[in-house]
Amino acid sequence: MHIPDGLMDPLIAGLGWLEFAVIAAIAIYMSGRRIKDKDLPRIAVLCAGIFVAQMLNFPIGGGTTGHLIGGALFAIMVGPVIAIVGMTVILLIQALMFGDGGLTAFGLNAVNMAIIAPLMGWGVYTMLKPLLSRGEVQPGKTFTAGEAFAIGAGAWASVLIASAACAAELAVSYAISDGAYGIAATVSVPAMLGYHAVIGVGEAIITVGVAAYVLKVAPEMFKSTTSRPVTTMGIKGILSSRIAQATAAILIAFALALPLYFIYSSEGADGLEKTMEDAGVGEPEPLLTSPFTYGEDYFAALFAGILGFVAVALVGLGMMRVLRAGRPAE
Amino acid sequence: MIVAHVRGHHTRPEELDEHARASWLGKLDPRAKIVGAVVFAVATALLTRTDLILASLLLAVSFGAMSQVPYRHLVRMYLGALPFILMASVSVFLFSGLERGFDMWARTSSCVITLLVLASGTETYELFSGLRRLKVPKLVSTLLMLTYKYILILGDELARMKTARTARGFKVGRGLFDGRGFRIISYTAGMVFVRASARADNGYEGLRARGFRTDMRQMRTSRLKARDFAFMAWFACLSSLLVILQLGASQ
Repeated sequence: MHIPDGLMDPLIAGLGWLEFAVIAAIAIYMSGRRIKDKDLPRIAVLCAGIFVAQMLNFPIGGGTTGHLIGGALFAIMVGPVIAIVGMTVILLIQALMFGDGGLTAFGLNAVNMAIIAPLMGWGVYTMLKPLLSRGEVQPGKTFTAGEAFAIGAGAWASVLIASAACAAELAVSYAISDGAYGIAATVSVPAMLGYHAVIGVGEAIITVGVAAYVLKVAPEMFKSTTSRPVTTMGIKGILSSRIAQATAAILIAFALALPLYFIYSSEGADGLEKTMEDAGVGEPEPLLTSPFTYGEDYFAALFAGILGFVAVALVGLGMMRVLRAGRPAE
Repeated sequence: MIVAHVRGHHTRPEELDEHARASWLGKLDPRAKIVGAVVFAVATALLTRTDLILASLLLAVSFGAMSQVPYRHLVRMYLGALPFILMASVSVFLFSGLERGFDMWARTSSCVITLLVLASGTETYELFSGLRRLKVPKLVSTLLMLTYKYILILGDELARMKTARTARGFKVGRGLFDGRGFRIISYTAGMVFVRASARADNGYEGLRARGFRTDMRQMRTSRLKARDFAFMAWFACLSSLLVILQLGASQ
């Protein structure tokens, strides 16, 4: 997934650098406040551990192999903010020492693998964990089957969404440069998503396995679950709640992808509109008009996206609660 | 022995430093090399004219040839990056024609070769020190230096674990349904983390004993010399020329 120099349209590469610079500056500032001097070697060792674990190839069938990316694992172990800094360090070493990923494309590589992957992995895991980690831990196991599923789902989502972002960047580069840069969407999207959907399964299995092993042997390595006090009152309480932070993590990934949508979006009719046009059928007046639209600029669309995400999440949580209320008490 | 994780090509980091010591590039200030490589990569990424892209590729290959870094080493590392370059080039070739596909291959190769020469012609800690002096945040540069140190140690540990599991008859399975194989790979990775954690604690004591306080102190304080400015000026002139010709052609 490491994009080399010269493959991306300069506008998209520049956009990647801009997004990376903003998020990385925030992550470095926040990490600087949280990390004490004795934590630094431990985090460096985790970075090295992820780097080395990436050397372990696993079979995905058909004679091909994949390897761990580790963004979700890193974020689940130490939290997303430090994971962003740590994954940036890993990518810098790969780019500068092995030429794996370019300098002009470093911003995009970092957005995909050092920002989107940890944020999505941690966000999905944190959202699913309270819903699934009911029941008792089986003898000889370190967590419930539900919690293992949450870790696996986080790892799988981290790989898939990061690869989707990479595919979208390649496709938009191709579209806006009239074929001079990037890869056509018809190739990049199915190739990247198809391959990484399978690699993601391997990533999920290994992430669950590593988490189980480390929790059993050295649980103190999971700093994200123990290091922060929980505030329960007011705005601070809402902001410090894990669900709110997980929502924010997923929304940041969405906000990072949105500029690509604006660069790529077309004024043309969609499939149904085109068919209606061809058939000479006009769009009738709607019975109800929504006060919201998808928005004409970045912030309007971001607002619409956040609103939609929160609405869907609330409906989903409400349905879960109704279903749970129907069950007999344990 | 540590191996580069990238697509299976085997390169020891120590080997990279050996080449840096053999090359005249190793004598240049790392800041000059980083700035030169970045300027050249940015300029090359902007090119769309085939003749200019070819000129850029020729410059990159000449830079590699003059660098005194063994060409076998550069070719081996380039081959590691080739699959992704080819995927992009072939895709562009199929959708936009031969010339565009060729441009993509040449442009990407030019940037990759320059970066590989930079990486091979600079000692690793010099490279990180250069980044530090180019105002990369302290947290990142300190983590870079510490991480690299631990990569060498853990890479050796992983190699030993791989040897041990091979001796016990372990073979990588054929697919995602090989549960036993995945369990062993997961536990191997888990063990890397656990051993890493133990080393971090010992490492911290050692660092404290050497005066470490949240920051790797800068031991190298060299100034840019005339040859460094000449190197940067050379890259800046060539890059500017390529961009000016490109912009002139597009108007």
